[in-house]
Amino acid sequence: MRLNNRIAYAFLAPYLLIFATFWLWPIISSFLISFQNTRVNPWRFAPSMNWGRLVGDPAFYNALYNTLIILVIQVPVMIALATVMAVFLNSPLLKARPLYRFAFFAPVVVGEVAYAAVFRLMFSADFGIINKIIGTVGLSPVSWFDNGTAAMALVIMAVTWRWAGYNAIIILAGLQSIPGDVYEAATLDRVGKVQQFFHITLPLLKPIILFCIVLSVIGTMQLFAEPFLITNRGGPGGATETLGLLLYRQGFTSLNFGYASAIAYTIAALAVAISLLNLFFGREAK
Amino acid sequence: MAGLTLKNVIKRFGALQVIHGADLEIEDGEFVVFVGPSGCGKSTLLRMIAGLEDVSGGEIAIAGTVVNDVEPSERHIAMVFQSYALYPHMTVRKNLSFGLTMNGNPKADTERRVAHAADILQIGELMDRRPGQLSGGQRQRVAIGRAIVREPQVFLFDEPLSNLDAELRVQMRVEISKLHKQLGTTMIYVTHDQTEAMTLADKIVVLRSGRIEQVGAPLDLYDDPANQFVAGFVGSPKMNFLKARIDAVSADGATAVLASDPGVKITLPISGRPDVGSSVTLGIRPEHFVDAGAGDADLTVDVDVAEHLGHTSYVYAAVSGEPLIIERPESRHAGSQDRLTVGVPSRRCFLFDAEGQRLR
Amino acid sequence: MISKSRSLLMRRLALHAALTPLAIIWLFPLWMMFVFSTMSDYGIFSPDIVLVPSTKFIENFLNLQADTDFLRAMFISITVAVIYTILSVMLTSMAGWALARYRFAGRSVVIAIILGTITLPFAVVVIPQFIMVAREFKLANTWVALIVPPLFNSLGVLFMRQAFSMMPSELFDAARVEGVKEWRIFLHIALPLARPTMAALSIILFLASWNNYLWPLLINSKPGMMTAPVALGTLIGLTKVSWGGIMAGAVLLTAPILFVFIFLQRHFISGITAGAVK
Repeated sequence: MRLNNRIAYAFLAPYLLIFATFWLWPIISSFLISFQNTRVNPWRFAPSMNWGRLVGDPAFYNALYNTLIILVIQVPVMIALATVMAVFLNSPLLKARPLYRFAFFAPVVVGEVAYAAVFRLMFSADFGIINKIIGTVGLSPVSWFDNGTAAMALVIMAVTWRWAGYNAIIILAGLQSIPGDVYEAATLDRVGKVQQFFHITLPLLKPIILFCIVLSVIGTMQLFAEPFLITNRGGPGGATETLGLLLYRQGFTSLNFGYASAIAYTIAALAVAISLLNLFFGREAK
Repeated sequence: MAGLTLKNVIKRFGALQVIHGADLEIEDGEFVVFVGPSGCGKSTLLRMIAGLEDVSGGEIAIAGTVVNDVEPSERHIAMVFQSYALYPHMTVRKNLSFGLTMNGNPKADTERRVAHAADILQIGELMDRRPGQLSGGQRQRVAIGRAIVREPQVFLFDEPLSNLDAELRVQMRVEISKLHKQLGTTMIYVTHDQTEAMTLADKIVVLRSGRIEQVGAPLDLYDDPANQFVAGFVGSPKMNFLKARIDAVSADGATAVLASDPGVKITLPISGRPDVGSSVTLGIRPEHFVDAGAGDADLTVDVDVAEHLGHTSYVYAAVSGEPLIIERPESRHAGSQDRLTVGVPSRRCFLFDAEGQRLR
Repeated sequence: MISKSRSLLMRRLALHAALTPLAIIWLFPLWMMFVFSTMSDYGIFSPDIVLVPSTKFIENFLNLQADTDFLRAMFISITVAVIYTILSVMLTSMAGWALARYRFAGRSVVIAIILGTITLPFAVVVIPQFIMVAREFKLANTWVALIVPPLFNSLGVLFMRQAFSMMPSELFDAARVEGVKEWRIFLHIALPLARPTMAALSIILFLASWNNYLWPLLINSKPGMMTAPVALGTLIGLTKVSWGGIMAGAVLLTAPILFVFIFLQRHFISGITAGAVK
């Protein structure tokens, strides 16, 4: 490679312009806005206003609590499920593999609105097919949208349905990159299939699974469309209100940009912190 | 056609200096081979001549013009790469014509040149295939063809044969040699294979760690190496090096005693006056041992293993733990015993000082 | 040998017994989306369990079109996704090429900034982006607002950079020695060779644009400039609305992309796994 500033920047310039305008500058700008009083015109510098409010805002703690609950339950369940899917899909014993692949991977391409609409209809209390099926086995119907716990469970189920296949795709690719002779050697050493999974597959998959966890954490921290559309704007009574939804409400319903920016930075900081923590512990255990 | 001059050429990558001032004169029409172990800087030097690497210091001149700041395309050179670097998505014809077309060369002239190159290399039937459909040897021809089409003043080859199997390598070597005779253009050829260097070159440039160790005709390097590195690098199997000590110095030359067998004393007709008692290295090529009694001293070795190749045999042996190889032509029994005695002719021996420099 | 093939059979049965119910559960919402889209609202709200499609898809679609101009929204979505994909592939492949193939001042800084910010959630920039586009540039409810801001996405840069740096550099050196200009080397050699990567990237970008919800919801909420997901989203939660119609819309949003997915699964998958497995 020869040194070539002019040509390199000619190729780079169009993208860098967009990148700086719509990504880099907003990242900085968001931080600055979080120190402004945006409820007056023109905005005034008021460093403690939004952050001070955040620290004492019960709505923030509710959204934070809900988001962390979803994170703690949904991410491990989904990753475990995705690993199982990937391992089974990778099994040479599987027949009709394309069919199973389609079943698990198809949700990956389904848009948030489309699937939110279906889940909303399927879980409807009075005429939803889920409650009808529950009824046929003699159980009483669940009011998915009126009961806070049930609504939370619904959001978790929906997100898991949508994203398990996505993670399974990544994990499957990781599985396929493990050379087959490792397993042949283990088989000759009379190591059983289950032991092979725990002592060969999982350790080798660890970096990939960590990557999936980090992606999922970032996604969950800004979860918005599901509680917005499925459980009707975080209902019932804020039981499924997430940080993403609170940001939307503050920014675009109340038009309180300063406070919304403080929430946005909290979301980012938590996402980065939890991801780093994950990577740190992942590396420690090695 | 053109000659080349390198004056104190230096290359640095950041703080790391990889070429330490190379001086070299290449005549018009000469076939020059840069040879040396991997990492010696031979490819870097070639890429600097091509203009693909910047020159950190010194001067490179082609046909008398300094080209340090001239774009590769303006240097009137053509290059054949180790991986062939054929454009995988283009047919052979397109591969040959691509550079000319992109530079607005008249269509008729481009076609003429492509046809001419195809003719020289006999790749006429392959013109509509893609590189993926060609064998290694065919790809190599196309890569050379792409260089010919440019009608350059200098051809540069960067280890062009190293991806071919042994048989093809010999065949292509002969073809490149023929091509040089046919075109008469200056060619610079980089390889780590001393056999290629010996067979192709008018002039060999031996490099080590970014320094030119010796420049000369192939047989001059073989007969008269400047130092222990060149002596070891040129020739196959490589020269044997035995630890020795200067026992006496007289008008006839210097007498060396083998460290591993003090009974072996060899007097070399050198004019230099090394210190008596100083450590030296005695070099002798495997093919230069003679029958016991026929040399100036006899050497008895412990045989490890013998390889019989039919026309000749190589005996892998040791003297007091020091390994050496002995070639015994026309002998299918050499090495069938545990010990072997051979003669050492002193006129075939070389002496090197502790720094590896030749004692003359 | 008999016992071996027997245990293999047992394992095979167990595998399918575990996987089949899971697959059915996973397919169920998609199947029901399709079934609902063919049922009248009366049928959807009846107490019977209906698992097979009916025949009311056209009626449902007409109901949907009466609730919101869904055809117009589909047209906007398709156009935006196509233009966005083309522009993004162009920009990111040029940038990826520069980062993969040239040494230049500031190279490591650019790479560090892109890598360092790629994992930040979109939430961080949504407020300033909105203020800038809607208030400062006054571009709300325009095509530009839908297409241009999302072009910041740096996934493609890394993706293309990876593809270009895996190509043998001798290929480009050969062209340079032949006097081919840099932009022609990019256009005639690098890009054609990166075609599989560009295909995978295009699919991922198209999908992202097609399904994008939050940004279009914020910036283009005026009827007539809404994308299809936004238009459909406004209906969810309304009381007097045709659910069969909403389901027809959901099918129209999903079916084409699902269809593409079936045929181009390989590209989808290499697009999704590009960031993870190197």
